Amino acid sequence: MNISKIVVLLATLCAARAMDAQSMFRGDAIHAGTYAGPAPRQFHRVKWKFPTGDRVISSPVFKDNVIYFGGDDGNVYAVDAATGRQIWKRATNGPMPATPAVANGTVYIGSYDGKFYAFNAQTGALRWKFATNGERRFEAKGLHGMQPKDQTIADPFDIFLSSPVVANGAVYFGSGDGNLYALDSATGDLRWKFKTGDVVHASPALADGVLFFGSWDSYFYAVDASTGKEKWRFHGGEDPMIHNQVGFQSSPAVVNGTVYTGCRDSNLYALDAATGKEKWRFFNDLSWVITSPAVTDGKVFFATSDSSLYHVVDASTGKPIVHQQGKAFMFSSPAIVSDVVFIGVLNGTLEARDLKTGDLLWDFQVEKSKRNSGWVLTGDRKFNVPFLFHSNWREAPLVATDQQIGIGGIYSSPLVVNGVVYFGSADGFLYALE
Amino acid sequence: MPTTSAVLRLIAMLIVATVLPSRAEDAISGRWVGTARVPDEELTVVVDLAQQNGAWVGSIIIPGLGVKGIPLTDIKVESPDVKFAVKGSLGIQMNLQLLPPPENKLAGNFEQAGNHAPATLQKTGPPQVEYPPRSTPVAKELEGEWKGDYEMLGNTRHVSIKFANHPGGATADFVIVGRKHNVLPVDLITQEGDLVTVESHDIGFTFEGRLREGNLTGAIRQGAIETPLVLLRAK
Repeated sequence: MNISKIVVLLATLCAARAMDAQSMFRGDAIHAGTYAGPAPRQFHRVKWKFPTGDRVISSPVFKDNVIYFGGDDGNVYAVDAATGRQIWKRATNGPMPATPAVANGTVYIGSYDGKFYAFNAQTGALRWKFATNGERRFEAKGLHGMQPKDQTIADPFDIFLSSPVVANGAVYFGSGDGNLYALDSATGDLRWKFKTGDVVHASPALADGVLFFGSWDSYFYAVDASTGKEKWRFHGGEDPMIHNQVGFQSSPAVVNGTVYTGCRDSNLYALDAATGKEKWRFFNDLSWVITSPAVTDGKVFFATSDSSLYHVVDASTGKPIVHQQGKAFMFSSPAIVSDVVFIGVLNGTLEARDLKTGDLLWDFQVEKSKRNSGWVLTGDRKFNVPFLFHSNWREAPLVATDQQIGIGGIYSSPLVVNGVVYFGSADGFLYALE
Repeated sequence: MPTTSAVLRLIAMLIVATVLPSRAEDAISGRWVGTARVPDEELTVVVDLAQQNGAWVGSIIIPGLGVKGIPLTDIKVESPDVKFAVKGSLGIQMNLQLLPPPENKLAGNFEQAGNHAPATLQKTGPPQVEYPPRSTPVAKELEGEWKGDYEMLGNTRHVSIKFANHPGGATADFVIVGRKHNVLPVDLITQEGDLVTVESHDIGFTFEGRLREGNLTGAIRQGAIETPLVLLRAK
């Protein structure tokens, strides 16, 4: 074999690995949020947009030139990545604000109907389904200061379902029933389940045979992937008064023996993957960290909700390197491709930022956001708080959150393949930009 | 020498000149009800405008936004132009024009947070301006500085309230120190019986307490969150 053939073979293998790193939430099992390939530093046009029947909170994944994602209309979709034409759709009985994983010719995804599904990736035919003990949102009395304070209220910001990770013949995912499940990926048979004290809607990351995930019970867990036995747990913040500053909604990234995770207690934590010991924390002044951090070149990239800040911190010390003031809350997780960071914003905008400086390179605003129905946004695209959250009484904050989502918010985490940026919007479309 | 008819014409003109402005003011004074046409929504707006001691006063109601009787500021009436603002976090500016009879309408622009919408208001009756409550004096033994602590999310907050009486009512310096040093803008201090209340509407904080055995015993409230708080006389 001559050198040129070896180079071609290596390039093919690298490309195949890169493509595999686009077939589950945050790219691969460690959830670093980094993707191979070119990144558009300029916006040219909408390549296509694919309509669904409801919000698209799910993040798209890519395998063999097909984009897969879940819709809040209850369907799983397979769409041709080049043309945006539907290949197949399959209905479940509930919204699917989760990101599918594609492996072994199978699409895995959970639904709000309380079931976890495996579909044939080519045809959409059902391979198996597994019933959990049922889905539910995080809930509490007096949540976020809502009144009446003695009434239990479901959290409108608990918007994602756990996204699965597939490895070693198993599929792992969290559930609103408080369990982390391990199923046989071929049959759907239960291998084990691990019980936590509350909703698990964060997505587990897998590294060196250990699953890492957080729960709304305020603990972050490390569990042996083969046995389901707990290795360690870490206690995040508590908020017994209004339950606002509690719970792990962010999904972790595991890089070089460190677990990075956001928390609703306003911290971004760096934990030792072997022991669970805290290495450092970055406090965000009571602003949630819902985004799942991206990690590359010794830096951690994440964003906050209310303070709407985009941060880059040193991965080993947590010291700030870059911060940029954004326009609105960010729940979407940053995707790093080449020298560009892509992130969705809840004001209905997708942003492309320079990897080094964090400067905005370009942004794209969906039409529904431009229309600004009911003045959900201010003139400069921030959330118009007096028009949204002027009442804490009964369902008012829930209605306001729906209005906020209705602007076409981008909760979905972007995926970049061959220079095309794919993401979902709460306006009901999946977008492909180039 | 002017003729009698010329004198009469001059008198008539003077009468018209003095009456016209008051007629214009009469036309603008009143309760105005209408809508601002926000995209996909008609926002009901009720504005009360009146003259008091030669100056314009007013208040606004927006039922959809929890706004009831908030005072208008920067009122400028130069008939047919009517302009006013609503200060604070809401931040509204309205620039209207009185349409000629028989329209009996104010029409123009409703502006908030950089957004603009056309607005039309119809006069429905006499003004019902709401006036903001005024601070009362506080008892002599409350004057001076009070201090206390409370716990929130595992952190201690240090509170200081310093009362002073003035001819127009009491004032108070209201400071909360946690991770940050927060000086709260106080809108209203009232004492009813032995209950004293200090309110900061813009920040959404209220302290209320009673003098008990030399301490101000009560609670601090932020939105729906209420925490017990005892303030001691500062040394």
